[in-house]
Amino acid sequence: MEQLILELKKQIIEVLNLEDVKPEDIDSQAPLFGEGLGLDSIDALELIVLMEKNYGIKLGDPAQGKEIFKSVETMAEYIEANRKK
Amino acid sequence: MEIKAYSRITADKMVVNGSTVYSSSDGENINLTDLYRHLGIDYPKFFKMDNLCKAGFLGAETIIRDAGMDTVTPKKDCDIVLFNSTSSLDDDIAYNNTIEDDANYFPSPSVFVYTLANIVTGEIAIRNKIMGESSFYVLKEFSSSIIYSVVKETAQETSANAVLCGWADFLNNTPDVLLMLLQRTGDGKIQFTAENINKLYR
Repeated sequence: MEQLILELKKQIIEVLNLEDVKPEDIDSQAPLFGEGLGLDSIDALELIVLMEKNYGIKLGDPAQGKEIFKSVETMAEYIEANRKK
Repeated sequence: MEIKAYSRITADKMVVNGSTVYSSSDGENINLTDLYRHLGIDYPKFFKMDNLCKAGFLGAETIIRDAGMDTVTPKKDCDIVLFNSTSSLDDDIAYNNTIEDDANYFPSPSVFVYTLANIVTGEIAIRNKIMGESSFYVLKEFSSSIIYSVVKETAQETSANAVLCGWADFLNNTPDVLLMLLQRTGDGKIQFTAENINKLYR
């Protein structure tokens, strides 16, 4: 799981263009939206694309996103349980 | 109106009020992120912008700060009127790259949101709390006379005390920006005329 969390942090930094952020700056349990990284709605859509592109996970119900994208840790747990690649 | 300040960004350098503030090294085209860091700006949203917005943002940032305008005070008497000839083609191409391969079809939402040229006026307005008229025109080619007449008419209609206006274009890794900050009263050094716009651009 630790390896997946680190991999996810690197991918988030890349796809969301968080230029001045390093993986170690991201608290795995901190909220991704609002506080924490302060991501916005477009970032949320980009995370949905990331999950499909890199892990083959299609979110059938967008409402699921609220729970899945709570933090890097919750994202990693969902990916671990549902990944197709 | 008078041209209080101006910035020019071309393939290899940035000039502000006649002085070169940044040049690219060894004949390479200017890197907008390097320019951003050189100017010492702290605005993380910059990294999320497309190239057109980055170029326009940097051109505006220098002259607005130079004129002593802050990012906090709402500016209801300031308009933004920009022009270019390639619209958002640079970002349109980037977006197309995310959808052209059926086997790798992942439309990027963050690239898509910049597939409109007038987003650059919004980015500048948000950063500087500019709340006057905001418009973007796509022309066949650079035309100082059209820029002059449209900006003059806009300023007459809105009675704005200041106008951020000019040319903001980006294509093929090449910025082409001439931004001018106009004020109704200034030091009178450069009058806002089609001839002077042309001189600053050439």
